[in-house]
Amino acid sequence: MCGNEALAEAAILAGCDAYFGYPITPQNEIPAYMSRRMPEEGRVFVQSESELAAINMVFGASATGKRAMTSSSSPGISLMQEGISYLAGAELPAVVVNITRGGPGLGNISPAQSDYFQATRGGGHGDYRTIVLAPSSVQEMVDCMLLAFDLADQYRMTVLVLADGILGQMMEPIVLEKKPSRELPPKDWALTGAKGREQNIIRSLWLGEGVLEKHNNKLKAKYEQVQENEVLCEQYEVDDAEIVVVAYGVTARIVRGAAAKAREEGIKVGWIRPITLWPFPTEQISKVANEFRIFLTVEMSAGQMVEDVKLAVAGKAPVVFYGRPGGSVPTVDELLDKIRQLTLRHEIKI
Amino acid sequence: MDTQIFDMHNIDIAWCPGCGNFPILKTLKQALAELEIEPANLVLVSGIGQAAKIPHYFKTNVFNGLHGRALPAATAIKAANPALTVISESGDGDMYGEGGNHFLHTIRRNPDITNIVHNNMVYGLTKGQASPTSQIGFKTPVQVGGVFLEPFNPLAVAIALDASFVARCFAGDAEQTKEIIKKAIKHKGYALVDIFQPCASFNKLNTYEWFKKHTYYLEDSHDHSNKNEAFKKATEEEKFPLGIFYIKPDKKTFEENIGIYQENQQPLYERKPNTGKLHSLIETFKFAD
Ligand SMILES: Cc1ncc(C[n+]2csc(CCOP(=O)(O)OP(=O)(O)O)c2C)c(N)n1
Repeated sequence: MCGNEALAEAAILAGCDAYFGYPITPQNEIPAYMSRRMPEEGRVFVQSESELAAINMVFGASATGKRAMTSSSSPGISLMQEGISYLAGAELPAVVVNITRGGPGLGNISPAQSDYFQATRGGGHGDYRTIVLAPSSVQEMVDCMLLAFDLADQYRMTVLVLADGILGQMMEPIVLEKKPSRELPPKDWALTGAKGREQNIIRSLWLGEGVLEKHNNKLKAKYEQVQENEVLCEQYEVDDAEIVVVAYGVTARIVRGAAAKAREEGIKVGWIRPITLWPFPTEQISKVANEFRIFLTVEMSAGQMVEDVKLAVAGKAPVVFYGRPGGSVPTVDELLDKIRQLTLRHEIKI
Repeated sequence: MDTQIFDMHNIDIAWCPGCGNFPILKTLKQALAELEIEPANLVLVSGIGQAAKIPHYFKTNVFNGLHGRALPAATAIKAANPALTVISESGDGDMYGEGGNHFLHTIRRNPDITNIVHNNMVYGLTKGQASPTSQIGFKTPVQVGGVFLEPFNPLAVAIALDASFVARCFAGDAEQTKEIIKKAIKHKGYALVDIFQPCASFNKLNTYEWFKKHTYYLEDSHDHSNKNEAFKKATEEEKFPLGIFYIKPDKKTFEENIGIYQENQQPLYERKPNTGKLHSLIETFKFAD
């Protein structure tokens, strides 16, 4: 079972009622798996005619109170942004998986982290947020899917799971187990027939003076709650670290290897791995930012998350960036070299 | 003209051995050479897919755009410079699935372009999912129980929309395909050429043999000016007719309809902005002192 298939099985375990998707590499194992398993479970699988259709099928299914998801890769996710904006406006839950590739445009099908802005800033229009989960192992792909459906229902938001082709193809042992789910609010907003109650209306149109402002402020309050309660990140050997490396997803695995080697050489390196990219672990980073350390952000991009790291560090320490854009993957030795250079440049005592 | 003028050297072709795209590539080069269309005056516009890679293997002007969006780009390229021969070419998934909406509206708009569709009844590049033209019962790793959707009928749709030229060919018959492509390119207005193209890797159902067995050429007596007759032929399913189904001559093209060419034949791309006109427009917005 590869990462993409594990993720798909986890969605089934999470109670996903309907999957909609359009073919695109490198995530085709997800629809292929779902096409077989969903009917077995008596659930819905549809190969749509385009990504626009897929996200709007999610929109429709979600409106009925059912758990719905789609998956695609970068260019396909670009097409879905319009739908995601409307889902946010209508406050409907949805799970969207992006197994990223290199861009802009058609780019290539290699792993890349160049959709960070798209994921965390929202490629669609309007004042809205999506929760973004960035797994770095196959087990975490499973865990993120289980969490994603719960978060989506709890906050009535789109939850994006952001992984890449390496994780999608990777094979690792996993435990597929449904953990006790959090208490979720009733879906009293769903279109289930208006018999004996007031009708429910799903919409993102808010005309009338001040009505949209009120709606936006309600969303804002909800997003602040998410920021307060749902940040996930992992830290390792940060306490005595003179260099703190920040990386997510597959890059964090390479960082872990480089940091271990650096420690062997006596360089005090620790790392922070954001699991939620939004909400970003701003506080966690801010807390450990001081003038005695350097922050090194490593990404498979030309520099996107580094902006959030800089905001978190807020000038309290230097923030250095190392990135490989265009679908290139940094090696452990390459990162180790970078870490060594930093010790020279900033005269960190070993 | 020698077809070699279109040849690219030292390139890797991504298609599988036995792919129906090879004969289409060769045939298109021959058709263009016989029509004496210079590479400099030709633009190949494509979307994304195996078929959509064809411009990369052609020494001419190349526009390789988005999945499903070749037709809007081709329309604009033709409008900017009507002297160019513009061919918009992709696979069935690209043109009829992702780009289905553009397919409908390009026919309505009627730009003077040729729309060649490599119809292999499967998504080739993404490794074998059903496409809009896949036959009922076709099994794939995603359509595990077989396709149950009615296949999209591009010819019937085009004829219903009164497309100005509608034809179907089979990649296995280079000679006839070449003649039809030549007529399509020479035709003034939007011309659809749907080409049955065997996919050696991902479509084991619709093979060369299958297409040979399930196609026949329209009789010489077929009246391609008769819309009802053309529609009837386009909806035949037992065996798929090949040839020119429908021609609507003298239909005004998009370039003829848009205002810019009605008084001035100079191509849009050569025109300079009329700053004099702009200045006098700005003057009208100014308050008098
Ligand atoms: C927006 C977007 N969605 C999906 C894809 C993935 N994709 C590339 S080509 C293709 C379809 C290929 O099928 P077809 O157009 O029939 O051409 P063929 O490869 O069979 O020649 C798809 C779905 C993409 N590149 N961009």
